[in-house]
Amino acid sequence: MSDALVIARGVRKGYGSGERRVEVLRDLDLEVARGEMLAVAGPSGVGKSTLLHLLGLLDRPDGGELLLFGSDVAALSVEERARWRNRRIGFVFQFHALLPEFTLEENVAMPLLIAGQPRRSALATAAEQIAAVGLGHRRTHFPDELSGGEQQRGSVARALVAAPELLLADEPTGNLDAANAEALFETFEELHLSRGLTSVIVTHNEALAGRCGRTLRLTGADVEVGCSRT
Amino acid sequence: MSVLGFLAGRYLVGLGRRTHVATVSAISFGAMALGAAALVVTLALLEGFQATIRAQLAEAGVHAVLRPTSGRTLPGGDWLAKLRARHPELEVRASSGGAVWCLGGDAAVPAELEAVDGLSRVEVNRVLAAQLGVGAGSELTIASPKLVLTPLGPLPMRRRVAVAAVSAMRPGDDRAVVLVPTRIGAALLDLGAPNTVELRARDVTQAWRVASVVQAELPKGVEVVSFAELNRPLLAALTLERAMIGFGVALVMAVAALNLLCNLALLAAEKRADVALLAAIGLPAARIRRLFVALGLGVGALGGVLGTLVGGVGAWLLDRTRALPLPRGVFIVSHVPFRVTPGAVATVLAVSLAAALLASLAPARAAARRNVLEGLRYE
Ligand SMILES: Nc1ncnc2c1ncn2[C@@H]1O[C@H](COP(=O)(O)OP(=O)(O)O)[C@@H](O)[C@H]1O
Ligand SMILES: [Mg+2]
Repeated sequence: MSDALVIARGVRKGYGSGERRVEVLRDLDLEVARGEMLAVAGPSGVGKSTLLHLLGLLDRPDGGELLLFGSDVAALSVEERARWRNRRIGFVFQFHALLPEFTLEENVAMPLLIAGQPRRSALATAAEQIAAVGLGHRRTHFPDELSGGEQQRGSVARALVAAPELLLADEPTGNLDAANAEALFETFEELHLSRGLTSVIVTHNEALAGRCGRTLRLTGADVEVGCSRT
Repeated sequence: MSVLGFLAGRYLVGLGRRTHVATVSAISFGAMALGAAALVVTLALLEGFQATIRAQLAEAGVHAVLRPTSGRTLPGGDWLAKLRARHPELEVRASSGGAVWCLGGDAAVPAELEAVDGLSRVEVNRVLAAQLGVGAGSELTIASPKLVLTPLGPLPMRRRVAVAAVSAMRPGDDRAVVLVPTRIGAALLDLGAPNTVELRARDVTQAWRVASVVQAELPKGVEVVSFAELNRPLLAALTLERAMIGFGVALVMAVAALNLLCNLALLAAEKRADVALLAAIGLPAARIRRLFVALGLGVGALGGVLGTLVGGVGAWLLDRTRALPLPRGVFIVSHVPFRVTPGAVATVLAVSLAAALLASLAPARAAARRNVLEGLRYE
């Protein structure tokens, strides 16, 4: 057994049934090594988000084998899946970044609060993480007082706050200008070096994808998934 | 404070931000409060009127009756004298008697004569008054089975008396009764031991306790009929009235709870993406369910408590200030009476809590069951 953090063997995933059945992922094989930074690219609707949802334990594969942190995810109980999502995996969602009734700081602290940390220390940790994504001056603002890019950076801060082993980001730079996107990637790279973070990042930005160690290109047309090393 | 308390608190209070959730929960909160207040006020009103009626019963009637367990007369002995001596707080009226004929107006009817000690005038009860067509001020003749020898031969002993009053009926008693002073009774009949003893507490608020106070001091062969037993039909009717009206008004709570249920379901639908996000970052389904139950209880139970408080204080004030007058001479009280009892308050609190809990369960389950991805996928 390799020390890969993510191992997918022949993973299949589709939606709907009968005539409306869509096969999105067909026999996907993938390994992501510990500490690796993998970019996922491909046209819209090809199944990038679907893949991330499988890796993030938000959905279950229809077939094949998926191992995370060395364990078969099929064997996990619902509670364990929730606990892993809370502590071992950080997820940056494509939509719905933040909860509107809570300040940025409270949003970022939420995974820690769910894990049962006392409010004070959770908020302190959240404040540090917010500063790390360059939003220190926005801590006590509500999401509707933040720009789209700021919200997105906030949701990155939330994904990272519990110091997860695996970061899954679904187009985290979609709303960011070049300079901010650049800064965000620098944050990711730093975490790779300092913490040995493993990440899978869906991005349309070729320049940024190029900075990842490897790019997974989903083409949809062929069953085999194109994989290019840069 | 747990994360659930934090989330629920923010959703409810809104932290100065005019959230839709806060508005909706304010409406449900108001509905529950209104329902609870209505229930408290109604129960206080019922209790107020019924307490007045019970006090009136105690004021007007007998508080306990001693009667033989078998036969027509109470056992002899000095127990009655002792009872009198030991309980100066009780009025004790022994009566003895037997069957007589009463003649008056244009009729002659059999009646029960009761010689009552301490009575100084003649009274007939309503049945006899109706049968003979007599009332206060009329005269009537009582004929006893005792015979006297007259020049015309043996004739029943007769006595002509003036009726001073028509006395109130004892509940459940439909005999024709004439009440006379002992002096007259003894002249007409051979009075033996008394056949009933009526007890009245001089302090009418003690009416309910009289039976239990004397119970232990009675000899064999004497049974005591308590105030509650004497007035059983009326008291049962009052209890039934309270139960039925209470139930009817409790339906207001059911409507408020349905409103709460709708609003929670709406909230769950509106907050679908947020709930999905919370689930995605690790909030387990069981805790999502608890979050919604907490929201429902927060709105419903707090509303119920506030309504109970407002209703209770309101009813108390209405009673104290005699704010609602009643037409003079029609009712025995001059204003609408309210009486807030701890039992009623506890009932309303329990009902509102139960209603809030029941209303929360279904939306909470639905929210917890929903697929995470469906909430997250679309913008
Ligand atoms: N719940 C669903 N039901 C039906 N089809 C779905 C569902 N979710 C995703 N799809 C389809 O799966 C395909 C891949 O979607 P997605 O993974 O979101 O693509 P991407 O993120 O690469 O743009 C799309 O064609 C989409 O319409
Ligand atoms: Mg997508």
